[in-house]
Amino acid sequence: MTTTTTELHPLAEAYVKELKDAARRMPRTQRNELVAEIRSHLAETAPATASQAEVLTALERLGEPAEILAEQGAEAAAPPRGLGLHEIAAILLLMFGAFLFLVGWLGGVVLLWSSRRWTTRDKLIGTFVVPGGYFGAAFAGIATSSTTSCFGSGRHVTCVGGPSTAAQIGQIALGVFLLLGPLASALYLARRAR
Amino acid sequence: MGPAEPSSISQLRRGVLEYCVLALLRGTERYSYEIVHALAQADGLVTTEGTLYPLLSRLRKEDLVSSTWRESDAGPPRRYYRLTPSGEARFTMFLGEWSRFRDSVDALLEGQ
Repeated sequence: MTTTTTELHPLAEAYVKELKDAARRMPRTQRNELVAEIRSHLAETAPATASQAEVLTALERLGEPAEILAEQGAEAAAPPRGLGLHEIAAILLLMFGAFLFLVGWLGGVVLLWSSRRWTTRDKLIGTFVVPGGYFGAAFAGIATSSTTSCFGSGRHVTCVGGPSTAAQIGQIALGVFLLLGPLASALYLARRAR
Repeated sequence: MGPAEPSSISQLRRGVLEYCVLALLRGTERYSYEIVHALAQADGLVTTEGTLYPLLSRLRKEDLVSSTWRESDAGPPRRYYRLTPSGEARFTMFLGEWSRFRDSVDALLEGQ
C-alpha cells in the first residue's frame, strides 16, 4: 500500500496520534491497518478544510480510541469455532495417549480442560469415559480375563475358576463399555466442540 | 446517549451487524467509509462508527470479505471490500435464519 499523506484537520491529527499511542500494544500489522482505516475515514469526515465544529462532530461519531480498541480486543478474543489443533490433539491423546507411558493421557486431560470450546460436562465425560482411553481398556480387559485359566486344545478346552453366568454378562457389558467408551467419548467431544 | 444499554441488547446488535455489512457488499464492492457511512445512517444499528473497523478486520480474517487498497482522485487511498464465496454462502444462510427468527419473534410480540 502506498501512503499518500492527506492533510487532516489538526484535531483529527491529534486523534490519530492518540489512537496510535493507545494501540501500541497491538500487533504491528493490525495496528497499522487500523490506523490506516481510521486515517482514511478522517480524510472523508475531517479534512484540513473542515470547520472545527464539523471535525468535533465527526470525532464524536467516530468514538474514543479506547472504545475502538476495546472492540478490536473483543473481536480478536472471539474464540474460533469447532475443532482446532488443540482439540484434535486432546481427543487423540485421550484415546491413545496412555500408550505413551500414561503421561500422554494426562497431557490429553490437560488439553481437554484448557480448551474453551467444551463445557464442564463435556470435559467430565472426556475425562471419565474411559480413564486412560484404549490403554485403560486394554489394561482392564487383561485384569478381568486373567481370573479364568483355560487349558486343553481344539474342542476340548476346560476352564477352571471361570466366572458365573451373571458375572460373565457383567464382564461382557464391561468389555463393550471399555471398547466403545473411548470411541463414543471421542465422537461426542468432536461434535460438541464449539 | 440514553441510559446504559444492557449487554444483551448490544450482543444482539453485534450479532446482526456483520450480516448488514455482508448485505451491503452483495453484488458490489464498496470502500470502508461507504460501508461505515451506510450503516451509521441506519437508525439504531451503530453507536460509534469507529467500532466498525475492528468488525471489518475480523470479517477479513474469517475470509468472508476480501479487500484491496486503491488510490483515489479525491484524497488518500481507499480500502475496497467485496464478498468472498464463503461470505456469500454465509449471507445466504443468514437470510433464511433471519426471516424465520424475525417472524417467530414478531408473532410472539404481537401475541402480547
